[in-house]
Amino acid sequence: MASTENVLEIRDLVKEFPGVRAVDNVSFDIKRNTVHCLVGENGAGKSTLIKILTGAYDRTSGSTLLNGREYVPHDPKDARERGVTTLYQELNVVDELTVEDNLTLGLEDTTFWFIRKTDKVSDMIAVMNSIEPSIHPKQKVGSLSVAQKQIVEISKAAATEADVLIMDEPTAAITEGEIERLFEIIQTLREQNVTVIYISHRLDEIFEIGDYVTVLRDGKHIDTKPLSEVDGRQELIRMMIGRTVFEEYTPKEETNPELVLEVRNLRNHKLKDISFNIRKGEIVGFYGLVGAGKTELARAIYGADPFEGEILLNGQPYTPTPQKAIEAGLALVPEERRSEGLFTILTIRNNIPVMNMESISNHGWISASKERGVAEEYVKKLNIATDSIEKEAAKLSGGNQQKVVLSKCLNADADLLMMDEPTRGVDVGAKSEIYNIIRQLAAAGKSIMICSSELPEIMNLCDTIHLLFDGELKASMPNGDDVDSEEILHIVTGGD
Amino acid sequence: MSDTIPSKQELAYQQDRSDIIRANIKRFYIYFVLALVVVVFSVVRLDEVSWFERGHFLNPNNIINLLRIAVPIITVSGAFTFLMIAEYIDLSIGSTMSLASVIFAWMILNGFSFPVAAVVTIFAGLIMGTINGLLVMKLNITPVIATLITLSLYQGIALLIVPDGTSAIKSIGEQTMPAWINNYAREDVLFGLPMAFFVGIAIVIVLIVLQRRTVIGKYSAAIGGNKTAAELSGINPVYWVSILYIIVGISAAMAGMARASYMSLGDPLSSQGMELWVIIAVLLGGTKFTGGEGQVEKTIIGAIIIIVVTVGMLTVIPAYWQTFALGAVLLIAVVINYQLVGES
Amino acid sequence: MATTTENVQAKPSLGSRISNEMFIVLLMIAVLVILFVIAAIFVPGFMKGQTIVNIFTSNWYIIIIGIGVTFLLITKNFDLSVGGVIAMTGVLSVYFSQAANVSRNPLANGLGLPYPVAIGLALICAMGIGLVNAFFVVRLRVPSIIITLGTMMLARGIGRIVTQGAQRNTSLPDEFGLIGNMTLPNTTIKIYVVIMVLLVIIAFVWERKTVGGRRTYFIGANSSAARLSGVGVARHLTLLFIMSSFLAGFTGILMASEYKAGISSRAMGYEFDALVVSLLGGVSIMGGFGSVLGMFVGALILAVVQSAATGLLLSPEWNFILKAIAVFIAIMAQGYFLRRRVG
Repeated sequence: MASTENVLEIRDLVKEFPGVRAVDNVSFDIKRNTVHCLVGENGAGKSTLIKILTGAYDRTSGSTLLNGREYVPHDPKDARERGVTTLYQELNVVDELTVEDNLTLGLEDTTFWFIRKTDKVSDMIAVMNSIEPSIHPKQKVGSLSVAQKQIVEISKAAATEADVLIMDEPTAAITEGEIERLFEIIQTLREQNVTVIYISHRLDEIFEIGDYVTVLRDGKHIDTKPLSEVDGRQELIRMMIGRTVFEEYTPKEETNPELVLEVRNLRNHKLKDISFNIRKGEIVGFYGLVGAGKTELARAIYGADPFEGEILLNGQPYTPTPQKAIEAGLALVPEERRSEGLFTILTIRNNIPVMNMESISNHGWISASKERGVAEEYVKKLNIATDSIEKEAAKLSGGNQQKVVLSKCLNADADLLMMDEPTRGVDVGAKSEIYNIIRQLAAAGKSIMICSSELPEIMNLCDTIHLLFDGELKASMPNGDDVDSEEILHIVTGGD
Repeated sequence: MSDTIPSKQELAYQQDRSDIIRANIKRFYIYFVLALVVVVFSVVRLDEVSWFERGHFLNPNNIINLLRIAVPIITVSGAFTFLMIAEYIDLSIGSTMSLASVIFAWMILNGFSFPVAAVVTIFAGLIMGTINGLLVMKLNITPVIATLITLSLYQGIALLIVPDGTSAIKSIGEQTMPAWINNYAREDVLFGLPMAFFVGIAIVIVLIVLQRRTVIGKYSAAIGGNKTAAELSGINPVYWVSILYIIVGISAAMAGMARASYMSLGDPLSSQGMELWVIIAVLLGGTKFTGGEGQVEKTIIGAIIIIVVTVGMLTVIPAYWQTFALGAVLLIAVVINYQLVGES
Repeated sequence: MATTTENVQAKPSLGSRISNEMFIVLLMIAVLVILFVIAAIFVPGFMKGQTIVNIFTSNWYIIIIGIGVTFLLITKNFDLSVGGVIAMTGVLSVYFSQAANVSRNPLANGLGLPYPVAIGLALICAMGIGLVNAFFVVRLRVPSIIITLGTMMLARGIGRIVTQGAQRNTSLPDEFGLIGNMTLPNTTIKIYVVIMVLLVIIAFVWERKTVGGRRTYFIGANSSAARLSGVGVARHLTLLFIMSSFLAGFTGILMASEYKAGISSRAMGYEFDALVVSLLGGVSIMGGFGSVLGMFVGALILAVVQSAATGLLLSPEWNFILKAIAVFIAIMAQGYFLRRRVG
C-alpha cells in the first residue's frame, strides 16, 4: 500500500436528509499517525460525518480516500475490515464474555469450529496488557469499568491493525485519572501507526491530546489546522460559534414572580446537587453538551428516573411518576422521539391525544369527532405537513414527528412543558415554527424548560440560562445583551 | 474458548465481597440442590411406583432406571441451552421427538436395519431444525410463533404416519416389530445400562465441548449478550442461530429414537409437553432468558434435578397431582432463576 | 420539503380512511369468502344449512378466550394458561355446586354451595390465575410465554386434583345445566353462541371506542412511550391478564354446564387455537396492531377449513398440519400486503 501522507482524504462530502444538509461540502485531510480532533457544536455535522466514514450512513455525494484509495464502506463491519474502527459511547463489547474472548471475537483461529489457542491470542493479550497491565484476560468484561471496557475495545482495534480509530466522546463516562491513562494510550497508538480521530467537546482535552483540529459548523467545514497554530480556547470557540447574532431574544417587560417549579438538591447517579426555580411564564434553558446531564435532569423531574432531593410543583411537594406528573401539570418532550415520544405505527390522530385522553372522550367513551377535531386542530396550529391525520407517525419527517410529540404535550395542557433537545433533527422551517409556539405559550402564562445542546436555540428563546457540565449546575444567568456566548462555551466545555 | 466460570484470579478482582459470595452461590447451588433432593427422596420410602423396587431410592437399580429415562431430557436440554443463551427459543422440541420416534419405529417395523433407521431419523431431526432456523432467521417470524407453527406441523405429520386404527407404530396384524428394537435403549451393555445411555453421555460430552472449546458456545453468548457487537465482529446471527436450531433438532431426534427403542413403538403423542421439562431444566440451571449467560453442565444438573424431583414426587403423591406439581415447579424454577440471575 | 399544509380537512381517499387494521380484517374476510367458495365447490355436502351454521357456532369457546388472547397479543404477551383455566373453572364450578355429604364416593361430594355462589367463587379462582400471570410478567418481567406455560399446568393440575384425574358429574343441582343448554326459542342455537357474539361486540367496542381499550394499543406499539405519556402500563397489563383468565373461566363454566360435568382434560390445546385465530385475524406479534373482529374472522376461517377437511374425509390429524400452514400463510400474506399498502 502506498505510504501517503494522508490516511484519509475527504472531498466535497455532502449528506442530505429531507430538509436539512447535515454535511455541506466538507473537504479536509487527515494526516497519518496524528491525533486529529473534530470539534463543533451539536448539529454541526460531526456525528453524521463519522457515520459516513464508518458506513452507517450513505453519503449523498462526494468522495473519501483511505490510504489513497477510494473508500466507500457498506456498513460498519465493512469499515472495520478495511481498517476504520469506531469507539462509540455505547460500548460494543459483550459483557458476559471474558476479556480474552472479546478481544478475539470474530477473529478466532479455528479448525472445524474448535478454537485453537494460537499465538494470536497471546499476542492480543500482550497488546492489551502493554496498554493496561491490570486487566486480567479471564475477567468478565461486565465486571470492568467503562474505562477498562474502552481499553479492551481499543486494544482489539490496535491488535487488528486498524489504520484509523475514531473515538466519539470517549471521556464522557470516565474519571480524571482514567482520562490521563487514555491519553497515554492514544500516544502509544500514534506511535504504532494508528491515526486517531478524536471527537469531543471538552476543549482542554483537545489541546492536551490533539495534533490537528477540524472545526465544523452547521454542516460546513470551517477550518483545519495544527493545534500549535490555534490561539487558545477562544479562537476555537469563535470558530465553533461563528458570528451568529442572537438578536431575536427580547427580554420580557414584566416577570411573574409566582414559582411554578422549585427544585432543591436534586441528585442521582449522574446529577450532583442541582437547585433552581422556574417562574410562571418563564422560558428556562439548560445548556450543556453531551453528557452534561440535561436528559437526566428532565427525566428525574418528570419522574421517569429515581432521584433524591425535593421538588415542589406549584408550591406542592410531589413524588413524581409520569402519570402523576402529567396530572399535576407537567409534560415532557423526550430526547428520542422515535423510541420514547411517538407511537410510530399509530396514526397522527391516535398519537396526539394520548397524554390527555379526556380531551377526546366523555366518561371513557372516545368521541370520533372530538378525536378528529383535536388532531386537526394541532395539525393546523403546528403546521404539520401531512395530507391526512390518518398518516402513520413513522412516515413523517423528523420535524413533523417532533411537532406531533409537541402536540401531545400541548394537548395535555401543561403548566410546565419540558423539552429535551426540542429541535434535534428538525429542518429550519419547522424549527422556527416550534420556537414561535414556545414563545406563544410563554406569553400565555405557561412555563417552558428547554434542555438543549444548541446554543443559538438557548440564546434565542430563554429568559434564564443555566449551564450544565458533568452533572453539575455550573452557572446561571438571565438572558440579555450582556451574555457572552464565548464565556458560556468556555464553561460548558469544562472551564471555569 | 476460555472458561467463563470465574477463576480464582477473576474472583480476586471482584472488589465487592458480596459479589464474591454471590458468585460462589451461583456456582455451587445447583450441586447442593441436587444433593438435597437426592437425600430427601432417599429417606422417603418407595412403595407405589411399579418400576421402582421397594426400598430406598438410592438403590442401584433405581438409579439405573432413572438415568435411562433421563437421557432424552438431559440431551435435549443441553442443546436447548445454546438457543436460550443466544436469546432464542424452540417450542417444537416435543413434536420433533415424537415425529422422530414415529419415523424410527416405522423404519424398523418395515424392515430397515438399525443403522439406516438411525441415520434417517437423525437426518429428519436435522431437517426439522433447519426449518425452524429458516422460519426464525430468514423469514423473520418471531421464535415463539415460528416454533409453535412447527410444533403443530411436526405433530400433525407424526400423527399422519401412524395408520388409522392404531395409536402408534407398533406390531399390527402380520407385521411385527422386531424384538431387537429394544437393544438400543434397553439391553444391558455395561453396568446394566443400555447403548442409548452411553450415546446420551457422548452427546452430553459433545455439547459441553462445543460450549467450552468451540465457537458455537462463544458465538451463542455473543449473539445473546450483545448482538450488535457480535455482528460488528463479523458474526452472522442468521448462520449461527440456524446451526443452533439444527443442533436442537438433531438432539431431539436422537432422544425420540431412544424413546421409540425403549417402548418398542413409535407413539406420536409420547413427547408432548417436553418443552416444559426442558425449560424448567434450563431455568434451574441458571440460564438467563435474556441471553448471554448459561452453561450446559448446569442445565444438565437442572434436568437431573427435575427428573429426580418428578419421579420422586410420583412416589409420594398420587399421579393426578403431577400436573399441578409440574406447574408449581416451573414457577419455583422461575423464582429461583430470578434470584440467581437478577431482573431482566 | 416542509411547505405549508394544504387544507387538511379535504377528505382523504377512501383507501386511506380505513385504518391498517380494518384493511387486514377486510383482507381476511375476502380470504374467508374465497375459502368458503372453494369449499362449496369442492367439498361434498358443504352447502348444507347445518354446516354453515356450524361455522359460526362450532368455535364459540375459542372466540371467547380469543378475546383475551388477542388483547394480550397486541401488547406482545402470550397467555397459554387459558385452556387450563377452562378446565379448572369448569371442574371447580361442579365441585362447588355438588351436594355435600351425599355419597361415600368422594368424587360425588362437593361443597354444596348454591349455584350462583359456586360459579362466582370459581370465577374468582380463575381470576386468581390471571393475577399470578400478571405478577410474574409485570413485576418480575418474566417472559409471558414461560410463565403462562406454568400456570397452564397449575390450573389444569388443580382440575386434575379435584377430579382425581377423572371427572365430577354427579349430585348436581338442577339449575347447573341451565345456561349451558339453553337455546334460542325455536332453534337449536345455544345461548352461549349469543353470549359469544355479545362479548365480541362488547370487546370490539371497547377496543375501538374507549379510552381503556385504546391503552392496549399504546402499550403494544411502544411501551416506553406509553409510560412516558402517562399510561398506567402495569395496571393495564394486569387488567388484561385477569380479564383473559376471567373469560377463560367463564367459558369453562358454560362448558361444564353444557355437559353437566367437570372434566379435567377439557380444553386441551384451546390456547393454541386461540393463538391461531388471533394470528389468522391479523394480530401482529410486533405489537400495537390487530382487532378482535379480525380474530372473529380468523375463527370463521378456521371453522371453514376444519369443516372442509371433515367434508373431504381427512382424518382429524390433518388439523395440526392445516393450522400450521394457515398461520404461516396468514403471517406471510399479511406482512406482504401491509408492506405494499404502507409503501
